[in-house]
Amino acid sequence: MSTIIQAKNIHRSFGKDALFTHVLKGIDLTIAQGEFVAIMGKSGAGKSTLMYQLSVLDKPTEGEILIDDIDVLSLSEKEQTEFRLNTLGYVFQDYALVPDLSASENVMMPLLMRGEYWNAARIKANQSLDAVGLEGKYENLPSELSGGEQQRVAIARAVAGEPKIIFADEPTANLDSISGNTVIELLTQLHKKQKQTIVMVTHEDEYAVNCDRIFKMEDGKIVNIEKRK
Amino acid sequence: MRSFRIGLLLGFRQIQRASLWTTLLIIFVMMLTFLNLIAVSGVLIGLIVGAERGVRLESLGDIVITAKNDENTILETGSLERELSTFPEIQHYSTRYSSVALLEANYKERRDLSGERDTANVNVTGIDPVAEAIMSGLDDKVIAGEYLDPDDEGYILVGVYYLKEYAMKFGDVFDSVENIKPGVTVRLTIGDTSKEFIVKGIVESKVDQVSLNTYIPEREFRRLFKRVDRNADQIVIRVAEPGEEVAVRDSLLASSLGDYAKIQTYDESKPKFITDIKTTFNILGTFIGSVGIVVASITIFIIIFINALSRRRHIGILKGIGIERQVIEIAYVLQAAFYALAGSALGMLLTYGFLVGYFESNPIQFPFSDGILVAPVGETFIRFIVLFIITLIAGFIPAWMIVRQNTLNSILGRK
Repeated sequence: MSTIIQAKNIHRSFGKDALFTHVLKGIDLTIAQGEFVAIMGKSGAGKSTLMYQLSVLDKPTEGEILIDDIDVLSLSEKEQTEFRLNTLGYVFQDYALVPDLSASENVMMPLLMRGEYWNAARIKANQSLDAVGLEGKYENLPSELSGGEQQRVAIARAVAGEPKIIFADEPTANLDSISGNTVIELLTQLHKKQKQTIVMVTHEDEYAVNCDRIFKMEDGKIVNIEKRK
Repeated sequence: MRSFRIGLLLGFRQIQRASLWTTLLIIFVMMLTFLNLIAVSGVLIGLIVGAERGVRLESLGDIVITAKNDENTILETGSLERELSTFPEIQHYSTRYSSVALLEANYKERRDLSGERDTANVNVTGIDPVAEAIMSGLDDKVIAGEYLDPDDEGYILVGVYYLKEYAMKFGDVFDSVENIKPGVTVRLTIGDTSKEFIVKGIVESKVDQVSLNTYIPEREFRRLFKRVDRNADQIVIRVAEPGEEVAVRDSLLASSLGDYAKIQTYDESKPKFITDIKTTFNILGTFIGSVGIVVASITIFIIIFINALSRRRHIGILKGIGIERQVIEIAYVLQAAFYALAGSALGMLLTYGFLVGYFESNPIQFPFSDGILVAPVGETFIRFIVLFIITLIAGFIPAWMIVRQNTLNSILGRK
């Protein structure tokens, strides 16, 4: 399998002088296309910070990141936005849906931004919602959905545009165990059926059982790479 | 276009999902701002326009004929009057003779002959009572006593500003006499000629030319002031078709009547200071309205800023999933545009659907004018455009400030 993410010597620090914090201390990793990986570690280990670097939401202090053979750190802000739109999908810890938009419209947003026509975007959005088990809830506002349902809308939004990589930042953190299992099951199905590359941050072992590899982090470093399959 | 479409969706949904009362309150503020912008200068100008309208209706008419600059009176007044009667475009006219005299009151009751006499220098106008009543409605201005009859001899109408009890209301700035009422005898003196008149009526109007005047029949005026040539000082004309005064004036001039007198439309004859006052009031109204615009723009700025700030995280997420900054800015600018449009539309509806008509029927009672609301459509539109553009800017700046923040910081709620 070809490499889709390659990170070399990633450092990320914050603050100056007494407030200086070195969060990532020279991370090297590669992720292959179609892989389902988990980044795990204790709180403060730097797993979310690493994910933000890999997902082009933040810029490392030092290092190099190639995604799909593109040096993403050399892109302008506008190009990075466009890159995220066309190549990456996101599932955030607290769903991150636009509260004023219906479930269908939330999913449509990135599709419309990609230039899809209104009707085509709506059809595709509703199909994505169907795929995550939200048939008939297209017009519901996020406030009218449960936490698990909102996270499923977020997954539908992340996958609707068929991005090359999906980043999921502790997608089960705010959910009960049943909803959490449903979300993990959805991600696993995506990985299995569509060979989607998924990078997931989690601190719970049980949710990482279906991953291909697990990057274990401690104090800003990858201390172990566990191959599950 | 794509950005605009998505921004429209975002902006529309934000308005749709916002609290109804908050939206109504913002629209109400915008409506008040619009009214402030239109009504303040409109009332200020309306005050002058109301005064002008009064002068036109009750004094000068649509066309004014006066003596040529190098003459004292209108030459060949009789011929000119006959000529005027042949113009079908002229509905009415009134010929006036005017001069000044000394009005003396209470001289019959005066016991102390060494004391000061109760006198006032007054304007005296000789009129044809019937023609004047038709032309200016002077008969309707009589507040005590009666109007002059065509055959009256020895009767006078006195304007209220010459009566001390009325003049006091204006700070005693007018030369006035005491204890004048209908039935009282007064004396007019011109040089060494005096004549007694019985006060037949008191006239009052917000137009100075009426209230600061005395009226006697024209025959008596000519005798008293020795106008043997019968040449008048002023002829005022009401045209049959309002707005046609320029054409009628041109017709009169084409008939060589300009050889005998100066013929001007009302607008030409009015003093320049009236136009200057209108301009000044317009500037004043615009300035006061501008303060309203500043307040409205700050209001919109705060509303959009709080709105965008409270959605900072969602803005970060939208940017995170690949939505361009421009789309989010458009969403907020469209919200501001909606508030400005809705407020202005309501303001316009209220202005043209109610206020203009209301003040036309129920003028504001100023001491010197019946104030109306003047709101020309063209000027209103310009002010609306100014308000609209400023509101858009006020909406854009806070959105731009929030949207340009670091995406990840916005998502994580970091400063």
